[in-house]
This record gives sequence, structure tokens and C-alpha cells, in this order.
Amino acid sequence: MARAQLVLDQLRRNHVTHVIGLPDNSSAALFDLLTGDGSIHLVSVTREGEAFAIAAGLWIGGATPVVLVQNTGFLESGDGFRGTITRMRVPLVCLITYRGYGKMTAWRRNTPGSSYDAGTLSDARLDSAALVTEPTLEAWGLPFDYLHGDEDAPRISEAFRNAAAGEEPFAILVTCDLA
Amino acid sequence: MLTKHELLEPLARLRGDAVVVTCMSVTRPWGAYSRNELDFASADSAMGHTADLALGIALALPERKVICLNGDGSMLMTLGTLVTAAQAAARNYFLFVLQNDVYEITGNQPVPGAGRIDFAAMAHGAGFSRVHSFEDAGAFESSLSGLLSGEGPVLAVVRIEPGSEGPISRSEREASPYLKTSLAESARRLRRALHS
Repeated sequence: MARAQLVLDQLRRNHVTHVIGLPDNSSAALFDLLTGDGSIHLVSVTREGEAFAIAAGLWIGGATPVVLVQNTGFLESGDGFRGTITRMRVPLVCLITYRGYGKMTAWRRNTPGSSYDAGTLSDARLDSAALVTEPTLEAWGLPFDYLHGDEDAPRISEAFRNAAAGEEPFAILVTCDLA
Repeated sequence: MLTKHELLEPLARLRGDAVVVTCMSVTRPWGAYSRNELDFASADSAMGHTADLALGIALALPERKVICLNGDGSMLMTLGTLVTAAQAAARNYFLFVLQNDVYEITGNQPVPGAGRIDFAAMAHGAGFSRVHSFEDAGAFESSLSGLLSGEGPVLAVVRIEPGSEGPISRSEREASPYLKTSLAESARRLRRALHS
């Protein structure tokens, strides 16, 4: 668990103007805070690919957007992300909630060295969204760090520094619920 | 049904200091009418994401008009953007859906629902309060000034003739200045132009 307020504080500290995304159970508390926040605009989208294109436009227009989506939605948004954020080298910070992270890490502990074959990816005890998240981020050239709890909140500011320095997007994988 | 000339010439004349974002089959033709630093080609970009990219620019710069020339095939790829745009209520957002019923770039294959799609009804249903439809060049030209001087978000469906535009590249070989540089450089050029 991490406090949503700490994440919001980090966004304010980095002068974020817009948060674009779709809520899930892990990010709901942050969405609730943003809904009542007067300093950061919340842009709700119907599908995650939209969020990346809108963020690219916001950045062109001089704003400082952040995209907040679940890993399932990130997977859905493949070409929207590639064709805008990656191709334009937008220094965008993405907050990606990590559905299935807990089950995946337990499985990795208990079955070291296991590969992601068809049996694993269809195993009902696992969430395949989690299994393919990090390989996909790596394949799509999106560097990332983790937010496991309150103590990791400063990593969000580090993500902004990395994105700006590299003129490239940077993701924070949120492995816990925000409350 | 309008020709591309009947669509683009009045737009180039009346756009003022608006940002104009193009995609697909009007990308090259627009370059023949406009050499403005506020033009942006959504080429070598994300399939179907021109309307939402333009919406982002509009949301960042509420005092600057943003005109998006979107294709019908592209619009069909992200119909949800109609809802997002209507909810965002950007007063400076002018979305033109250019309906030729085909994927012109790939050889004029029909789009799904060709001949039956009613984008104006979709826009109304999504929450756009200002929706226009044009099938006649005279009506388009006489209405355009008023359309652009009003408050958005606006959606205008314009019936246009299919043409024969081929695939678009970003290279020195392209005649239009806005296609000569990479997407990353084009994005930075527009960003600089908007803040100079």
C-alpha cells in the first residue's frame, strides 16, 4: 500500500499540468484525489491508446502531462504509444499499475528459472498481464522503476529527471494499491 | 461531394493562426496549400490517433484554435475519442472528418460500413453540441468562416471524393516542408513555434 497523496505531491512537485488515463482498483484513490484537485487537470479517456496521443499533443503544446493506466491498458495501447510518445521522443512519465504482480512474484519464487510458455501464460493461478508487462516495456524501449510503497515516492521525481535528461518516456510500475 | 481542392483551399485561406493537424490522404495535398510553421503532419505516427493528438494540443493551449483534418478510416479506429473530446469541451477544437468511404492510401478499399456511417449522429451522441455536415463545395465555403469563428468543440463531416494518394513518408524527397523531417523533429518545431 502507498498513499495516493504522496504520489499527488510528487506530481505537483514536478509541475504536472494534466493526468490522462483510466482508473483501476489500484489507482482509484489517486483518481479521486485528482478529481477534487484544482491544480492538475484530469482527462478521462475511453481507451488507453488515446491517453498517449493526448499526452503527446499536450507536450507539444507546452504542458507537462502524466499518463496513468493499468498494465492491461498499456498493452492495449501499443501503437498509440509507439507512434506518438516513442516516435516523437516525448519525455513523458507514465504511472502504470501492475495487475497480477503479487501472484507473479510468488510464482517466480516458487518456480525459479521457469519460462513463459503457453502453459504458464494460460495458467488460471497467474495473471498473464503481469507476466508480459516487463518484457513488453523492454521490447518497446520504455525504461522503468517501481513504486512498491510510500518509501518509493521520490522515485517519481527521479523518473521526471530521467525522462527529461534522455528526452524519452519513463515508466513507474505501481506494484501496490494506492490508498 | 467536394474535391480536395474545394476542401483545402478555403481552409488554408481562413485558418488564421490556428494549428492544423493533418493525416493520411490530405497530408501531401495540404502541403500544396500551406507552408505554415503551425502545420503538423500526423505521418509516420500512430494509426488512428490524429484526432486525440490534436485534442491534446488544444487542451494545452486553450486560446489557440486547433483544426484537425482526420480521415474517416482513422476516425473509425478511435471512435471513443469523440466522447473524450466532447467531455473535454475544448472550445478551441475543430475536428473535420473527411469522409470518402475508402482507405485511399492503400488503394481505395472500402472502410467498414462504407456508405452507411453517420459521423454527425455519432458526434451528437457523443456529446458534441456543434455538428455540421457538408456535401457541397459552395455550402462549405460559405459556412467555413462562421464555423471557425464560433466556439468549439466542433465536428464537421465533409464528404470528399476518393483520390489516389499513395503511402506517405518522412524524407527529403517529400515536397512538403512538414514532411521533410522526422516526427520527433517536427513535434519539436511545432512546440517551438507555439512558444516563440
